[in-house]
Amino acid sequence: MKNLALFLVCLVAAAARAADSTLTDAQLQQLEEARGQVADQVQFQAYHLLDDLVFEWSEHPPFDAETPLVMADVSVPVDFGSGLQALIENHVTALLTKQKGTHVVLTHCPACTAMVVRSSAKGTIVSRGVDDPVALAQAGALTHTRHALFLDFEMEGDALVLRVRITSLEPSLPIVYARTLTTTTSAPALLRDPDHLKSAADARQEYLDILENRSRWSVPIHLGVRSYATRPFSNSTFVPVPFIWLQVGVEASITQARAWLASFSLGVTWLPQLHIGVSANARISRLITGSTSSMTHPDLYAFVGGTVFFIQGNSALGFKDEIPDINTVIANARGAEPQALFGSYQVGLELRLKNRIGFAVYLEALPALDNAVNIGSYVDLGIKFQSLGAEVLFCF
Amino acid sequence: MKTLWSPVLLMCVAGCAYDPAPGLWHSTLEPRNQHCRRMSQQAAHDLYPGLVPDEPARRLLKPAEAMTCSADFVNEGERPPRDEAVLSTLSTSVRELTLLASSLTPGKPTWVVDAYYPDVEVSSKIAVALRNELFERGLRVSDRAPLLAAGDIAILASLPASEAFPLACRRYFAEGSLGDTDALLGVMIVDSRETQLHAGVCQHAQWRWLR
Repeated sequence: MKNLALFLVCLVAAAARAADSTLTDAQLQQLEEARGQVADQVQFQAYHLLDDLVFEWSEHPPFDAETPLVMADVSVPVDFGSGLQALIENHVTALLTKQKGTHVVLTHCPACTAMVVRSSAKGTIVSRGVDDPVALAQAGALTHTRHALFLDFEMEGDALVLRVRITSLEPSLPIVYARTLTTTTSAPALLRDPDHLKSAADARQEYLDILENRSRWSVPIHLGVRSYATRPFSNSTFVPVPFIWLQVGVEASITQARAWLASFSLGVTWLPQLHIGVSANARISRLITGSTSSMTHPDLYAFVGGTVFFIQGNSALGFKDEIPDINTVIANARGAEPQALFGSYQVGLELRLKNRIGFAVYLEALPALDNAVNIGSYVDLGIKFQSLGAEVLFCF
Repeated sequence: MKTLWSPVLLMCVAGCAYDPAPGLWHSTLEPRNQHCRRMSQQAAHDLYPGLVPDEPARRLLKPAEAMTCSADFVNEGERPPRDEAVLSTLSTSVRELTLLASSLTPGKPTWVVDAYYPDVEVSSKIAVALRNELFERGLRVSDRAPLLAAGDIAILASLPASEAFPLACRRYFAEGSLGDTDALLGVMIVDSRETQLHAGVCQHAQWRWLR
């Protein structure tokens, strides 16, 4: 009995250890993922601050003439690794290389960042080269470089702070330039093109222009197909053919957020030997995936609308209330083409990508054709929906 | 009736997901890592035009407001609490300390900065922030670190802070690390349990506590 109790205790302890181990692994993985996310954010914001700094230097250079500068130190927030450090160093180097007018020329000075040892009567000093210019001068490493650049990033709450300083490499190490930039005082972070660096305000304005100054008017071109349900148990052998429509019109956003859209379009359809037709369509759409249209995700709109169709040709026979008789057929043979004029109401959904490309499906009710002998209904919700349509659209 | 209320309830519950307050979607821990600011809808729209819609054209009786929240980079507990407390308020601390130092120190010395903090990395962050802040106040600042002999450091390490810093100040001048035109701004943690930074100025071999 005692052995059994001991075994159970061991089993429980082992199970607890196993559970702990699993939990720790899961926690470690979560921590790693969280670190990755934070590193992405920090990198993005750090790039933004560096862009700001280099743009500022191109407008107000820290030196009057071209000045060699050694990248002495890039320090990243406490607990962040050298990967981020390398990314930041690469980015600032790329910016300073591409951006004209900063009067800063990055130079290579291996001795400046290496540990140097200098002995004198007072003692022996071990330090980085940039911290001991006397040792650098003695080693002959200061022939071209006279200034050192230090970049320091730190996270303070929800803000990233960049502290920049340039130190003159003379024995007293005077700081000749210092600047503190923080993400809380600047505009929200934006990616900028290092080849054509612009101020944060200009970059933001450009972004807003793209976002807001999308013209309130656009010209959508729809290419779609409408099919009509066949009436079951009908004596007619007529099967309505699908109609392919090309529609062109104008679309207006009623609100700045493009939450409401209104459009009007004219369409044309043609099938050799069968029909030619025109249509006029008006539609009102409402954004249902948020309160403002997105520049990055597809937007889904629900819409209602109305269309008037005029069809001429044999296909128009399908929209008649009666089965074509012999007189109609003879009249057609003599050149009198059948015609149909009718209206429809439509409800549907439209998926729009960046307000440029869209895909819509809809149902149409044709109240005037409730008694048409050739047309049935796909859905009957009290209102009969006799037509089903799908279309793609391109906005210009 | 049930079927009518279900979508309404679903929409209400879905809406709560945007609310940073603790509740159905957020634990009580999450809001501690959030910085939320209340602002007008127009200001929020200017900042986040893709997320917050513009104010409606029809004027409302009361201007609409928006709450924007951003998460701390580092969640609570990810860094040692003391380091996090010092680093997250570093800008404010150095602003206060440099203001005190610059206003209470006579003349126009060249400022030399050193930070005495148990963690070397954090210590370096404090010193860098102080140098930048002093320079941006229009003062002369040197990147030089004042040096002491190893023997001095061994003795100073054994003394309480109230005696160590005045003695170190005298030694800096005696050893020639600091001159008459220099002033050292020293920032330190006196008690390992506290998170507030203390500061003192060493000028003409005299140490004076600022805070």
